[in-house]
Amino acid sequence: MAAIGGRLRRRPPRYSAAALAWKGLRGESWPRVWRDCDLKRSYDAVVIGGGVHGLATAYYLARDHGMTDVAVLDKAYLGSGGSGRNTAIVRSNYLTPEGVAFYDRSVHLYEQMAVELNINVMFSQRGHLTLAHSDASLRTMHWRAEVNKLGGVNSSVIGPDEIKKECPSLDTSDHPRYPIQGALYHPPGGVVRHDAVVWGYARAADHMGVEMHQKTEVTDIVCEGGDGPDGKGAGGRVTGVRTNRGDISTPIVINCTAGWASLISTMAGVRLPITTHPLQAAVTEPVKMFLPTVVVSGSLHVYVSQTDRGELVFGASVDPYANYSVRGSLEFTEGLAGHVLELMPGVSRMRILRQWSGLCDMTPDYSPVMGFTPVDGFLVDVGWGTYGFKAAPVSGEQMAEAAATGRTPKLIEAFALSRFDNGELVGEKGAASVGH
Amino acid sequence: MTMSRQGVQPTEVIDRAAKLRFRWNGKRFSGFEGDTIASALAASGEQIFSRSMKYHRPRGILTADYWDPNLMVQVGDDPNVRAGHRLLESGMDVRSQNAWPSLNRDIKAANSLLGRFLTPGFYYKTFMRPRWLWPTYERVLATFAPGGKIDLDTSHAYHDKRYTHPDVVVAGAGPAGIEAALAASSAGASVMLVSHEHSVGGHLRYSSDAADQAALVELRTALDASDVEVLTDSTVTGRYEDNWLGIVQRNHPIAVERLIKARAKTLVAAPGLIERPYVFEGNDRPGVITSGAARRLVNLWGVKPGERAVVFSANAEGDAAVADLERVGTEIAAVIDGRTGGHISSTRGSSRAVDAVVADGASIDADLLVVAAGWTAPTSLLNMAGDRPVYDPAAARFFPSDPPSNVLATGGLAGDADLDGLRQHGAATGRLAAARAAAVRHRLQARTARALPVEGDEPAWAPDERAPLGRDPHPELYRADTHGMVDMSEDISSKDLVAAAHEGYDSVELAKRYTTATMGPSQGKLETVNTVAAIAEARGETISEVGTTVWRPPYAPLTLGALAGRMFEPVRVSSIHPWHEANNVSVIQAGQWLRPDHYGDPAAEVRNVRRNVGLIDVTPLGKLDLRGPDVPKLLSLLYVNKWMRLGIGRVRYGMMCAEDGVVLDDGVTGRLGEDHYMMSTTSSGAGGVWEWVENWLQTERPDWQVHVTPVTTAYASINVAGPKSRELMGRVCEGVDLDAEAFPYMTVRQATVAGVAGCFMWRIGFTGELSFELHVPAGHGLHVWEALMDAGSDLGVAPFGLEGQRIMRLEKGHFIVGQDTDGLTLGPSTGLGSLIKLDKDDFAGKPELAWAADRSLPMVVAIQPDDPGVVPQEAAQIVRGDTNEILGRITSSRYSPTLNRSICLGQVEPDLAAGGTKVTVLLESGERIGATVIDHHAHFDPAGERLRG
Repeated sequence: MAAIGGRLRRRPPRYSAAALAWKGLRGESWPRVWRDCDLKRSYDAVVIGGGVHGLATAYYLARDHGMTDVAVLDKAYLGSGGSGRNTAIVRSNYLTPEGVAFYDRSVHLYEQMAVELNINVMFSQRGHLTLAHSDASLRTMHWRAEVNKLGGVNSSVIGPDEIKKECPSLDTSDHPRYPIQGALYHPPGGVVRHDAVVWGYARAADHMGVEMHQKTEVTDIVCEGGDGPDGKGAGGRVTGVRTNRGDISTPIVINCTAGWASLISTMAGVRLPITTHPLQAAVTEPVKMFLPTVVVSGSLHVYVSQTDRGELVFGASVDPYANYSVRGSLEFTEGLAGHVLELMPGVSRMRILRQWSGLCDMTPDYSPVMGFTPVDGFLVDVGWGTYGFKAAPVSGEQMAEAAATGRTPKLIEAFALSRFDNGELVGEKGAASVGH
Repeated sequence: MTMSRQGVQPTEVIDRAAKLRFRWNGKRFSGFEGDTIASALAASGEQIFSRSMKYHRPRGILTADYWDPNLMVQVGDDPNVRAGHRLLESGMDVRSQNAWPSLNRDIKAANSLLGRFLTPGFYYKTFMRPRWLWPTYERVLATFAPGGKIDLDTSHAYHDKRYTHPDVVVAGAGPAGIEAALAASSAGASVMLVSHEHSVGGHLRYSSDAADQAALVELRTALDASDVEVLTDSTVTGRYEDNWLGIVQRNHPIAVERLIKARAKTLVAAPGLIERPYVFEGNDRPGVITSGAARRLVNLWGVKPGERAVVFSANAEGDAAVADLERVGTEIAAVIDGRTGGHISSTRGSSRAVDAVVADGASIDADLLVVAAGWTAPTSLLNMAGDRPVYDPAAARFFPSDPPSNVLATGGLAGDADLDGLRQHGAATGRLAAARAAAVRHRLQARTARALPVEGDEPAWAPDERAPLGRDPHPELYRADTHGMVDMSEDISSKDLVAAAHEGYDSVELAKRYTTATMGPSQGKLETVNTVAAIAEARGETISEVGTTVWRPPYAPLTLGALAGRMFEPVRVSSIHPWHEANNVSVIQAGQWLRPDHYGDPAAEVRNVRRNVGLIDVTPLGKLDLRGPDVPKLLSLLYVNKWMRLGIGRVRYGMMCAEDGVVLDDGVTGRLGEDHYMMSTTSSGAGGVWEWVENWLQTERPDWQVHVTPVTTAYASINVAGPKSRELMGRVCEGVDLDAEAFPYMTVRQATVAGVAGCFMWRIGFTGELSFELHVPAGHGLHVWEALMDAGSDLGVAPFGLEGQRIMRLEKGHFIVGQDTDGLTLGPSTGLGSLIKLDKDDFAGKPELAWAADRSLPMVVAIQPDDPGVVPQEAAQIVRGDTNEILGRITSSRYSPTLNRSICLGQVEPDLAAGGTKVTVLLESGERIGATVIDHHAHFDPAGERLRG
């Protein structure tokens, strides 16, 4: 894919084996991956949130639409939120034809990413197994497989024998509780090195002139003409943002702040039907490779994969209560361990090394909110719940198009904020809520 | 460097009379009772214990304790065992990890030659093209994954957890921790003292100083005489909200590891300090050890760490190490004093051993370098309590900032003092912890409903009047004038960190993620501060400005087995289950339940129900007993239809929708008395509906008077179905008129059945036949079932299972929530739109359903394939002609033994929902078949004459 609009402002140092060798021989160091810039007083667009969504949006604004006078603001460091806390699973075996098309595009962009961004994001398409422990879930797997096949996505239902072949560590015996009766097998699904995606977008956007500003917290959004206090709210328009490093004027503000999305939107007088829930994860000590695929069990609320470093990475479903705490709970690790051992009793001597938690912006229909709001110039790319990472490339591409052209692209029409006013919810509850 | 066992040391913990034999990489070795795996191997002269992750460099002892990153070994099927901590056992099969073909000759050590190319994050910069080769690259990279091997045949032995509620938990059993425990216990608190080590005493254990040893004896004697519960070889792994603590006990007599969950009223954090390695060229060469390692080897296990040593000392521990080494005959070639400007630059030698140390500009022959360069404060438990420790450059370590008032720090974590000073601070901390615990205990008692009121007023929250500990000055020693390893587990050098910072990964979190420093098994215990220091140096900032990473739980890793404990995921069966098992049942998993699927021939079971009478065990059907004057309001709120005027003895069908209008559950609810109702739910929805009901009552309508009791398993439920069911019921029931007019369809009656009082039954029929759904006190379920079987033998009574019921309900066109509906199916889509009463005040899902009322929605319809012999599989898609456009799907399908044809329910787009519409069904095989939508859901008896009979 060639750069359409974005011009390269400076010559990027290419990453390659030859360059590694050259620099190694000469003992040279690599230049900064992105610049440290002074914050300007004005930009053509400001993206709030330096995670994969914000950075991808900035990248596509520059690449596809020639908008390079863009600042990405993050209150901490790039990738400090969900982008660095997720379990890095990418797949497209969704339940609705719309979901399949959307995520299929995302998988496609992930496949291209290493070459396009010139950074190895290590997309390991090792296959993704969603286990069925009952008739009912097996029926849902068949349903997903049929929809996937019609959407051109590689996905099928396999039985215990084939599961054992793909993933020998799973206990496929006919034990009484949670027997593995079958699985939805999705060969193109896999895991990506999530941090590399953050750095890759940041680096590529930087090369085209986009500025990344870390430790830059937005404290208010400045609006005029709206029906609320201070000109905020419906009917108004955005004129700038205030930050801990000074004020910025800009006609376009894009909110990509995940767990903080509703608080940031409130700064523009826009209320979102979003609650923030913690999502916990954990990692074990490394052992030699034994788990070749990504394994998910909806009934057991667990997903697990083994990193190339040998660690098992686990996740579960969101905590059932709204909360902004990222401290994690003991009960989470206990439940997780129990569920993993139900699937793979052989790992009982592996040790949990670290647990953490991230914030998820949940919507009532488990689908995102993307595009325009009643405040002119204030766009949102939020409500990404537990499935934001796998959608980052396609979201960035579509949001950039919306911001640059002022029109909602077809692929995200269904995700408009207005759907909550007219009752046209999207439903991916079945495939998105526990199916990582 | 050759380590060797020396003469008996006064402080040693080994029993030289108890010799233990074990294997190390297949060869025979021996050690003594009390040895760790590492001390036994060191005593036998072993120098290399592992290979490093990236460069496969030989690694020897560094710290000789739990945190030693070089001492990770495999013991039997147990990977990543800390050989510096794990006690030797007879017959152990110990193997090195991360080396091939052997520890001594490792092919991947060739990587050391490539070091200059394997800069941090090198893998992000290559292996991108050609794309198809990446899986191969990945497989090669993955062979560098460190760690042991898991054995998939390892069984998960169940180990119960322990729950406890001590007043005070003391984490750490050094002198300050022990004094805190003793003082808190004397003040009347119940105390648990948790020692990470195998015995209490902290650093006193390996001190040869006579006063230290006397103090150790005194403290241990006092502990033995006290009420303090002492856990050794145990670690407080996490501190969660309200002092909810996870404690892992590694030396439980039965369990491999046991998880103790403790709710402490106050927590005393006394973990001591962890000695920090020093960064310089060759600092990971076997033969470079910390001063603590030297002292532990000598004093605990009688092992001489080397023949000729250079000691780099910047503190009293380093000085003490000199004395210990001399005592066992190690020649001290030089003592380099870091406090007065002495410095070391590098070690020289082979990759396997130190030959010389370059210090103060001169090369000194030595086979051992002992380093005492300072301390890391393990502030994990404070971090988990929300504290952000602050760096003090004068003392060269972090100190607590402002932990919550129920978490108190003492010992080295809190500051420095001589032994008496530490003990006094510990004791004062224990008294404060006990006083605050008493206040918490009083508050908890006052809030708990109990017969006796709490005595007295709540004690005041004790002020912290402890004399603070001092801070000994210590030089800031992080890196010498050369570069060396910062993270031994990950093979990350200070040069790597500087390069990463220059590349832009210059905050501690970014550098950590980019280089993986601090992400290995020791989780920063040894390397965090050196990592921060390297970044600070690269940025030209101070350590305070750079800050540190957040230490997350667990403090020490714990096994999945201990965390899982016994999984409480019981398999549920009804009280009638023994009968099924004795009668050739085929069972099916249905959520938590094992249920009869059939007894050999489901089609025959169906025919028998249609002709005679059958019994099905439907115990898992959810049942909620609802009492109170506001029950009708509750029912009106949660069901879409009207409930305010349900007569006593009447039963009504209801559908529940969630707030998004999607069908949540359905079932019948009957009114048993004036203020007494029984709600039934689907079997799979039993738990969810109960939560749903409670959620509304507790959070939205707390003022309503409704009492909810889930009684699903309090009753055994039997559906008696078929044209002869009334006759059968007549033979076993007393006190109820079963006549069609006295007990019509959709009513409920209470009765005595087969001599069992307190049964109730309702006339409803999922199967489409005349039927009585009987609910019997659970203990009598089997008796009533057997009585029905006996009484009906001449009527042809026979059991039927879930499969027969599913066939009959499909013949009758009854949908199943979750099968024929899904997470998108709005109420009207079920075909029961007329049930939804939008003129009601309010009910769950009303706004969405009001929107839905004006829209055309996908519909649940009955479908019959044109070829009656073809049964499309459930989930087969309904498509437009030869295209891939999805117009719906088959949700249920069976072959009907009653109609002798295939029958289906499905969901279709609105314009296909009219009776007579022809549709195309795409079979899994790829074949497309024709089918017809019929104009009502019931394939059989659409008028419902049999049901009402």
